[in-house]
Amino acid sequence: MAEGRTLDLHLHLLDRQVIDRDGRYVCKVDDVELEVDETGRPFVTAILVGPRALGPRLGGRLGRWVSAIGRRIADGQSPEPPRIDFALVSDIGSAITIVRSRADVDVGSLEGWVDAHIISRIPGSGHASK
Amino acid sequence: MKRLLGVALGILTAIGGFVDIGDLVTNALVGSRFGLSLAWATLVGLVGICLYAEMSGRVAAVTSRGTFDLVRERLGPRAGLANLIASFLVTALTFTAEIGGIALSLELATSVNYLLWVPMLGLAVWLLIWRVKFSIMENVFGLLGLTLLVFGVALWQLHPQWGDLLHQIAVPHKPTNEGTPVYFYYAIALFGAAMTPYEVFFFSSGGVEEKWTKKDIITERINVYLGFPLGGLLSVSIAAVAAIVLLPNNISVNTLGQVGLPIAVASGKLALAVAILGFVAATFGAALETGLSCGYSVAQYFGWQWGKFVRPRDAGRFHLLVLLTLILAVGGVLTTINPITITEYSVVFSAVALPLTYFPILVIANDPDYMGDKANGRICNFLGSIYLVIIVVASAAAIPLMFWTKAGQ
Repeated sequence: MAEGRTLDLHLHLLDRQVIDRDGRYVCKVDDVELEVDETGRPFVTAILVGPRALGPRLGGRLGRWVSAIGRRIADGQSPEPPRIDFALVSDIGSAITIVRSRADVDVGSLEGWVDAHIISRIPGSGHASK
Repeated sequence: MKRLLGVALGILTAIGGFVDIGDLVTNALVGSRFGLSLAWATLVGLVGICLYAEMSGRVAAVTSRGTFDLVRERLGPRAGLANLIASFLVTALTFTAEIGGIALSLELATSVNYLLWVPMLGLAVWLLIWRVKFSIMENVFGLLGLTLLVFGVALWQLHPQWGDLLHQIAVPHKPTNEGTPVYFYYAIALFGAAMTPYEVFFFSSGGVEEKWTKKDIITERINVYLGFPLGGLLSVSIAAVAAIVLLPNNISVNTLGQVGLPIAVASGKLALAVAILGFVAATFGAALETGLSCGYSVAQYFGWQWGKFVRPRDAGRFHLLVLLTLILAVGGVLTTINPITITEYSVVFSAVALPLTYFPILVIANDPDYMGDKANGRICNFLGSIYLVIIVVASAAAIPLMFWTKAGQ
């Protein structure tokens, strides 16, 4: 748990790679969710993921466009991006490690869709080449 | 012993894998027009690629992060995205040139029109990326690429005045019939061909694929500091044989056949066959590297699973992207635009895109927060900074010179 540690949000958290407990790549820290405690100090509660989180940070027309694509892919109107609770974070290094497996966190549906509809239909998709 | 073999294999594949379609065409073309008066540009590029490839490999070994992973972290999402788009387009253009290059090589070998080879080659490239183990891919094409050493043999058999050649390299004299802007345009092309950005994307991502750790830094350094210079020497010998055979006869290089012509003159048919095998291996290997690099860069920006160290279905978006880029590249070759022309533009646009890749690498390799005691030393930083200036100048001058010289005419 990273509780209590002081972080430079820009330098240590934003845009960093998130990996799961098996070392698989999960997503990027596209944005973070902040809350303010009783004393008025902000703390990070979740990692926000996907185009809907990235869009506002890109800004401008491009940003709105990216957010819209994100909503379309998610097949709904919700502007809320998928989130990973910060309590799941076990390490903050050159990557952010979470305690769950990649399959157990919901970080958007594109990978699942691509896998189900395209990649797993091609022979050999289930064999590692290493 | 096993480690020694590994190091030797690494050096050999670094030599054999150094040359791609850009190096082949640009060196032969420049040799046939400017003699060895531009060899300095290849040598400057060679020192640059050694310096920055070593840095990117070291970063990969210490952090397990590929180049674009860190580009986004350092430049932020917006500048990182602009960088990604530009780098992706240049690498995809290089990918197209490499596929055209394999097809032209096969046309040389079989006299079957290169366009007929293209769809089959597209399938072959995809199958290798889809199924074949990373290290096998690297080693097979790297070792087969060593057949290009026949250029060195040909140079030796031409019995040149070695002192004279060295003099031409050390004291460059621009041929009087060529203008100064054209001279510098081709200097930038050679520089771009030697420092092509995909080489560092691939080198660092390959380090992650092969799970390098701090212990591998020494191996990585030997590969770079021994293998790359020998590969660079090969580039210079391609220019040298063109300078000796083609320049006096006023033959300029417009086809891949003309790149191989000096071999046939100097060493005969069999040597030419070996050279053509080298062309196929070098361009095929580079096609795999550029194709993977397109996928690596985008996946690393967005945080997708990438790499050949997992099953394709675990890296679905990465493999889909590589497949789509391949279809685009195959389509590009099928437009019947001369692949040699595509190659010439790809090396110049590589030169334009150089700062996008190399600036973030210098910043990260220099950051003790990431790198700990493996951060850049003073000499490395000093040289890296000097190169950054050269890279920025070359990048800024490339497009104006391209228009001024009508792309080197």
